[in-house]
Amino acid sequence: MKILVVEDETKTAGFLKKGLREAGFVVDVASNGEEAIHLARELSFDLMVLDVMIPKVSGWEVLETLRREGIQTPILLLTAKDALADKVKGFEMGADDYLVKPFAFSELLARIRSLLKRSPIRHEEVLRVADLEIDLARHRATRAGQRVDLTAKEFVLLALLARRAGEVLSRTMIAEAVWDMNFDSDTNVVDVNVRRLRGKVDDPFPRKLIKTVRGVGYVLNAE
Amino acid sequence: MPNSKWSLAFRLTAWYTLASLLLILAATGTLYWALVTNLERDSILFLADKVNVVTALLQERPNDWDGLKEEIELESAARRYDQFYIRLNDESGRTLLETPRMGDILPSESFDGFANRDGRITAKDGVVYEATEVGAAVGRTNHQFRKIQIAVSLAKQRQVLASYRQWLWAILSASFILCPVVGYQIARRGIRPVQYVAEAAKRIGSSTLSERIQSDGYPIELEDLARTFNAMLDRLEESFERLTRFSGDLAHELRTPVNNIRGELEVALAQSRSAEEYREVLGSNLEEVVRLSELIGSLLFLARTENPGTYIKRELVDVGELMATIRDYYEGLAEQARVTLAIDARTGLKVTLDRSLMQRAIGNLVSNALAHTPSSGRIDLIAKESDGNLEVCVKDNGCGIPAESIPRLFDRFYRVDQARSQQGGGFGLGLSIVKGIMTLHGGTVEVVSDLGRGTCVTLRISHKTA
Repeated sequence: MKILVVEDETKTAGFLKKGLREAGFVVDVASNGEEAIHLARELSFDLMVLDVMIPKVSGWEVLETLRREGIQTPILLLTAKDALADKVKGFEMGADDYLVKPFAFSELLARIRSLLKRSPIRHEEVLRVADLEIDLARHRATRAGQRVDLTAKEFVLLALLARRAGEVLSRTMIAEAVWDMNFDSDTNVVDVNVRRLRGKVDDPFPRKLIKTVRGVGYVLNAE
Repeated sequence: MPNSKWSLAFRLTAWYTLASLLLILAATGTLYWALVTNLERDSILFLADKVNVVTALLQERPNDWDGLKEEIELESAARRYDQFYIRLNDESGRTLLETPRMGDILPSESFDGFANRDGRITAKDGVVYEATEVGAAVGRTNHQFRKIQIAVSLAKQRQVLASYRQWLWAILSASFILCPVVGYQIARRGIRPVQYVAEAAKRIGSSTLSERIQSDGYPIELEDLARTFNAMLDRLEESFERLTRFSGDLAHELRTPVNNIRGELEVALAQSRSAEEYREVLGSNLEEVVRLSELIGSLLFLARTENPGTYIKRELVDVGELMATIRDYYEGLAEQARVTLAIDARTGLKVTLDRSLMQRAIGNLVSNALAHTPSSGRIDLIAKESDGNLEVCVKDNGCGIPAESIPRLFDRFYRVDQARSQQGGGFGLGLSIVKGIMTLHGGTVEVVSDLGRGTCVTLRISHKTA
């Protein structure tokens, strides 16, 4: 999977390149619009991460030029401007997704994966992580063969973590997916709920599955 | 318009001068005209009077030759002022009686064409006369007729008029010089208070924003101006203060996390450490940075709510369901704090509003309520319609808010409990955001609090605009 990162800010370009490489992608970086258009014409990419504010040729122009030339590579826009008008404009011009700086890298990764349809989201009826088993159809969770009694929301939360096992989920993403709360405030509510879930899923067992990634969020894995 | 650049004093002077000159011109002109008419009428009446006397004499006493002679020759000759001449001719035009010297100055022929009408004759001596010729019967028999020729000198009149005209020119020339001078002085005096106001305004800068313009001692119109000006200064000063406080607060909010990051990093890099220690420092820094990102996000959001052109996505939302979502989210936290979270909303109460913005507003209020309600307390989420408005109340029986803090609740970074901020609470932007969201919806927010007994925050959105 090949990604083109178009970003003039060296540090930003640096961490994007590093992070995406470590997530298993092949990454090229262009530091201005001209270079981006040139690279996109010459090489084929599976996805582009495009900063709107770049020198020479702006991100908007890059987007417009590529779409006009029939290059349909999925494009994720990055911008420091949090204006809805920009968002609408981006989508109208053919961008596929939009992220406002400052963003969480985990969120960028999740969105890239979902654009590439390479998300590790699992669609099985029964999800298994180590000795944890989640039966989505029957709304039942068991750990080491013992039934874990969960409330409806706790079950949804556990299922979310299990479907995306191994992927770090930010508190905002969790709040949005489980409670349909699409604003990032009071994320300690998520902490309280995860703590309660842990009380039922992890506390009675020596092996802990739900892990806190400091400053980022939560991840469920067997490691 | 070039004349819009002329000074006010100049314009006032010009108008004043023009108006005064026109008035003076009109007044003097009218007076002159009245004088001329009066003098003319006087001469005509004088002639008619004399004619009447002679006619009466001829009629009543046709044989009193001496009386007639006295009347015609002596009286007229004796006059030096308003000199007049009178002559009596018979029907054939032969002169019977005349004022001495009249034959030299005004011979009979000069009256040709003046029969029974008034007119002017320039005599041989160069003087202009008002003259007429009238026929008169002798006795009561109407057999004999006489012609009375009479003329009165207009020299005196002309002299009066000439001197009057001289005066007029003198007055007009004087006004022509005096009016602009006086006008300018008046204009200067008139606009001097404006200059005072301007000077006072000039003295007021960002550092002397508390200064005011003395509003009394001015004419009413300017007193009004000064007062309006002062009211504007009040508003300016208030927003300026808010802005200053905001920048100060913002710097303070930024200082703590930045200081933590900087310090931790410096200490970490001062010597080599284990991977675990580095991870610890990075994690801690990430937490601070996330906090900073949230701060930036909130500030950007607030900036957006202040832009009246900001688009909001209105849709028909079931308010009860919206509240249920919020309760679900906060239930875990409430249970942990042993606080009851109850909803009171009519099922099927639907209003058009921006779902996620409203969720955020009510969420912020619930979050505040939870932070200020002790265990075994209660928080009610109430939705109702009244007078076409949607009212959403978040009511708690917590610690309440001191009355003096209520007006400042919506200020950015304002916290009632300053100590709480040190324990990683919010930034004190929650209620500013709530207010911003209400503004975007064209609604209002109201706080009623009873210290020690609880607080009720009411969001009001008009149904029509919502």
